[in-house]
Amino acid sequence: MSETPPQRSFRLRNLWRTTTVRLTAIFIAIFGFFAIVLLALIAYQSTIQLQREQFRSVEREIGQIRLLASQSGVRAVAFAVQRLADRPGPGIYYLGDPTGTMIAGNVTDFPPLILAEPGRYELIYERGREIYGGPENEIPSQGTAIVESLELSNGLRLVIGRDVGERRGFNAIILRTFFAGTVGIILFSVVAGGLTVRYVLRRIDGINETSNKIMSGNLSERVPVTGRNDEFDAVATSLNAMLERIERLMAGLKEVTDNVAHDLKTPLTRLRNKAEAALREGANPETQRDALETTIAESEQLIRTFNALLLIARAEAGTSTGAFSDIDLSEVVADVAELYTPVAEDAGMVLETTIEAGIRFDANRELIGQALVNLVENAIKYGRADKDGGGSILLAARRDAGGITIEVVDRGPGIPEGERTRVFDRFARLDVSRTEPGAGLGLALVAAIVRLHGGSIRFEDNQPGAKAVIVFPPPAR
Amino acid sequence: MKILLIEDDREAASYLIQALDECGHVTHHASDGETGYAMASGMDYDVLIVDRMLPRRDGLSIIESLRAEGNNTPVLILSALGEVDDRVTGLRAGGDDYLVKPYAFSELLARIEVMARRSAPSEAATSYQVGDLILDRLARKVERGGEVIALQPREFRLLEYLMKNAGRVVTRTMLLENVWDYHFDPQTNVIDVHMSRLRAKVDKGHERQLLQTVRGAGYVIRE
Repeated sequence: MSETPPQRSFRLRNLWRTTTVRLTAIFIAIFGFFAIVLLALIAYQSTIQLQREQFRSVEREIGQIRLLASQSGVRAVAFAVQRLADRPGPGIYYLGDPTGTMIAGNVTDFPPLILAEPGRYELIYERGREIYGGPENEIPSQGTAIVESLELSNGLRLVIGRDVGERRGFNAIILRTFFAGTVGIILFSVVAGGLTVRYVLRRIDGINETSNKIMSGNLSERVPVTGRNDEFDAVATSLNAMLERIERLMAGLKEVTDNVAHDLKTPLTRLRNKAEAALREGANPETQRDALETTIAESEQLIRTFNALLLIARAEAGTSTGAFSDIDLSEVVADVAELYTPVAEDAGMVLETTIEAGIRFDANRELIGQALVNLVENAIKYGRADKDGGGSILLAARRDAGGITIEVVDRGPGIPEGERTRVFDRFARLDVSRTEPGAGLGLALVAAIVRLHGGSIRFEDNQPGAKAVIVFPPPAR
Repeated sequence: MKILLIEDDREAASYLIQALDECGHVTHHASDGETGYAMASGMDYDVLIVDRMLPRRDGLSIIESLRAEGNNTPVLILSALGEVDDRVTGLRAGGDDYLVKPYAFSELLARIEVMARRSAPSEAATSYQVGDLILDRLARKVERGGEVIALQPREFRLLEYLMKNAGRVVTRTMLLENVWDYHFDPQTNVIDVHMSRLRAKVDKGHERQLLQTVRGAGYVIRE
């Protein structure tokens, strides 16, 4: 049907154009960004916390030693500093006299500047073995430290600090974890996103493939439904329902064209033959007049058939819904009964009614009337008890919980069980001989009208006779 | 009657003009909407016959403009659109009657003759009389020669419509439309059956048959 080859699946270069891929990428980016920010924040916070802890302990020690220096002598201070210095750990201690002679501590060699000027310094120092108590070969010869240098009240120089190697090592671990985490998150989201994209695209490809097959002419194709009841299944189900309806309409259209071809061409041929015969027979005014009158009668029947076909087609397509209004259905049924009572009587039949009063219904009055007229005319035509006439027809309308029910019942020969659905087809007729007039469109029109109003119609066995049952379910509110 | 026909199909128009002429009517013809509108608003006609789909200006807009100008000439709309909705739009636009193509000439003739009469002032009469048959619309009573005839409500309306248009032919579809308010085409002779019942009540036992069948057209009530 279409000249472009069906696009079976998404090419890689087109991948970026798909909404799923874009959305997934955006989510990965947003998710990744926030994960990285969060990790960075945690890493930063723990580093800061560590550093703060170290400074606090340094300050605490300084405070203790100041106190000691103000109350006791040099010996006590030296003893206290030496005790602190002897503990294993990252602590750096130095106590010296103003001349630069070391009294206690674990670091011997400080640049003179540090000792001369109080303040905070970062420095690289020669580590003594005292700092780490571990095996000799593992002791790094140099370390980095942050130290506080100050002068005590009795003129002694005190330097207290912390080796930051351990802390930096810890920072490095945090940083490594951070990177590993980030990479992990990104990898995980890309994989998860990829799987999502693949799943979604595969489902959509399924729909695309089906519509391509349908476009190339296979109307019976359906979108696969997985049964998982997800949103794709919902879309697939409603698409399938739509396809079902389209297929039915197409089938109906095909049937109409076939029938039009057959059942309209036949009378047209007859018409033409009559006219030709009249021409051939020459100038006898009597026969010519007869021929012309039959021609008009035939053409009227044709117009009628044509109108009925159009009406059926429109009712089935659901386009003829403009003239719906709130009607009194009881009145319409009673009107039809009243209209046909004399006709039934002339046919030697009785037309009875049991009509519940005041049934209101949103409907097209003309169409409902037409449908009822068709059913009653059928009952009069085919519902005789025997060839000489006689019999009765019942027209009933009632409303209950199941909706509105209209019945047209006769006591004639009835409809064979196998034919009860076929009679609603266009041009379907029970008597093959076609003795009664009519094109076989009456019941097809009834069925189309009933369907247009959301109802259903069926024939039942009245034992004897046929019972047409129309049911309009109550409106879903 | 003086009739204006606005119809773009020349063949259909010339057929109609000739047929109307044979029935004693004078018909002017316009083949497009603008000309038709100019003629309709410039001259006095008894009836306008307007095709719905016309070149240059469509039929419904002509009718709407005429009605807006206070021109109340009866209008018969001709259309190939035969749906109930189409009819409703046509009548809402100001048309007085609606005839779906293809139609029988007798149907068109009956409708325009009744329509022209409809615009006459006798519309609001409280009783109709044809010969010795009297229909009292207020008392809903029918008498013939001083004898009361008992009629069903629908039979009364049927006779009322016939007598309102006494002397003019009314077709079966016109009766179904005006007495039963249905616009479809019944397959059986349902109107004939009702007419024969009415005739049995009105004309039985009388020498003068007032209800007459017009072959190929419909019915007429006349002396």
